[in-house]
Amino acid sequence: MNGVVTGGWNFVIAAYGITVAVLAIYGLTLITRLREEKRHDAESDRY
Amino acid sequence: MPRRYPYVISSALLAVAIYFGLAVTYVDQYLHADISLGLPVAARTLIAVLSGLIGAAIYLAADDLKSPRCANRLIFTGVILMLIGTWFGLFVAPPEEFMGDVQRIMYVHVPTAWNGLLALTVAFVCAIVFLFKGDWKWDARMEASIEVGVVLAFLLCVQGAIWAKPTWGVWWDWDPRLTTTAVLLFAFLGILALRKFVDDPMKRAIWSSVATIIAYVDVPIVYFSVRWWNSLHQLQSNPNTVSKPFWIPLRANAFGILFVMVGFIMLRARIASLRLETEIAPPPLEFGEAV
Amino acid sequence: MMAVFVFGAAALLLFSFAVGPVAELLRQFSAGFLWLGLLLSSTLTLAESYHAEMENRALEGLLLLPSDPRALYYGKAIANWLQLWILGVALTPVMVILYDAGTTRIFALVAVIGLGTAGLSAPGTLYAAMTAQVRSKQTLLPLLLFPLIVPALLASVKATSLIVLGDPMGEIKSWLTLLVAFDAIYWSLCGLLFGRVVEE
Repeated sequence: MNGVVTGGWNFVIAAYGITVAVLAIYGLTLITRLREEKRHDAESDRY
Repeated sequence: MPRRYPYVISSALLAVAIYFGLAVTYVDQYLHADISLGLPVAARTLIAVLSGLIGAAIYLAADDLKSPRCANRLIFTGVILMLIGTWFGLFVAPPEEFMGDVQRIMYVHVPTAWNGLLALTVAFVCAIVFLFKGDWKWDARMEASIEVGVVLAFLLCVQGAIWAKPTWGVWWDWDPRLTTTAVLLFAFLGILALRKFVDDPMKRAIWSSVATIIAYVDVPIVYFSVRWWNSLHQLQSNPNTVSKPFWIPLRANAFGILFVMVGFIMLRARIASLRLETEIAPPPLEFGEAV
Repeated sequence: MMAVFVFGAAALLLFSFAVGPVAELLRQFSAGFLWLGLLLSSTLTLAESYHAEMENRALEGLLLLPSDPRALYYGKAIANWLQLWILGVALTPVMVILYDAGTTRIFALVAVIGLGTAGLSAPGTLYAAMTAQVRSKQTLLPLLLFPLIVPALLASVKATSLIVLGDPMGEIKSWLTLLVAFDAIYWSLCGLLFGRVVEE
């Protein structure tokens, strides 16, 4: 590439922001799904 | 209790990995003290990478899919490491000579790439073990690592597009690595869809193992074909080149994402095994002894 | 078979509307269009190839016979391959007429189509065996198959367009090597794994 890429902080922030957001949301869905399965499991044990 | 031994061993291995991979460099650079125990750089790197991978593998293999405590601890450690890595990557490391501040994307992009490929490799190994042993645990682990690998591959594509825009002026550059990641993403999404559509747990497990093996074998072929295909198009600067002083954010993020990934896989495998239990439950069958 | 051919020819006709009536562009893209048409048609023939077995649970009957499931797989795969090969060769004149993409190297073109369709049919037959047994097979088969055969598609398109447009650098050899390697890997790997897919 010719020359130096100047600026670009908005791209950096976008990349980090999306990474953090996706990982956090995925983690949250994991926790809720685990709770759901456990509740389901406990219910089916009762019968 | 002997059941705890694998966790103790793998925690020790992960601690060794953090020590040699991160702490030595950090202390040397900022506190100017030598805690390397006289080991050369190459040996330290090798020890860090190997003990990190082996520790993570033991964690995954020893997980009895019952208690979530270890997974939570791993995720916690990983998040702290990622905070350190992000802090260094964004605010401490100087901008790169040619790429400027955009280079900072690499500190999260490259670790995501390593760990995404690692997650899919774990899925491949689980598929082979399941086909040979027929133990449901490995089916749950395979489902978990495919899903986590797909999340990481998706992140990889997004980060790659964000990197390509300021660097090459386009969102998508048909770079072999990026294109291979996209193909992988769709291949493994297809396998997840297959799992959704098959109701019989046994068929689902075997079919998705077979599909995982076939898709994983495709990775190097896709990579080389895209590289040949694109070779006349343009020769690219290698975005992986990271200058020497910037190792800390890269390593901290690599270990951080590794820990978070292993923790996620453990949690996800727990969900899968609970679901399997309820699916197989109706006839009174000892869990883990089916097949 | 005739219906699939008409489907493929219609796809080729439609692709040209996506580009517009620019003869030079159409000629450039002709190989890609031919393979895309073939790929779309292949999902039809592959999905159909287990139709007979699925009726009256004939597949289970076949598996009860004292023969290797591998023989069943290779029989199916070769049948699919020949079908696709014939389809590809039949679609070539349509390509030549619509896109003005003629060539005198007929034998090379037929060989490339043969190698490319071999790459399509090996994993295609395996995946069709799975998806034939589940609901919504029409979506699932392309979803699994298309990402997988990217290398074969790439190599076939490149090789075909090198034949049609001329090959001054002699590149076609490396693409043919890639195709042969892809075929060899998947014809052996899918044969190995097929036994696990159909077992009960």
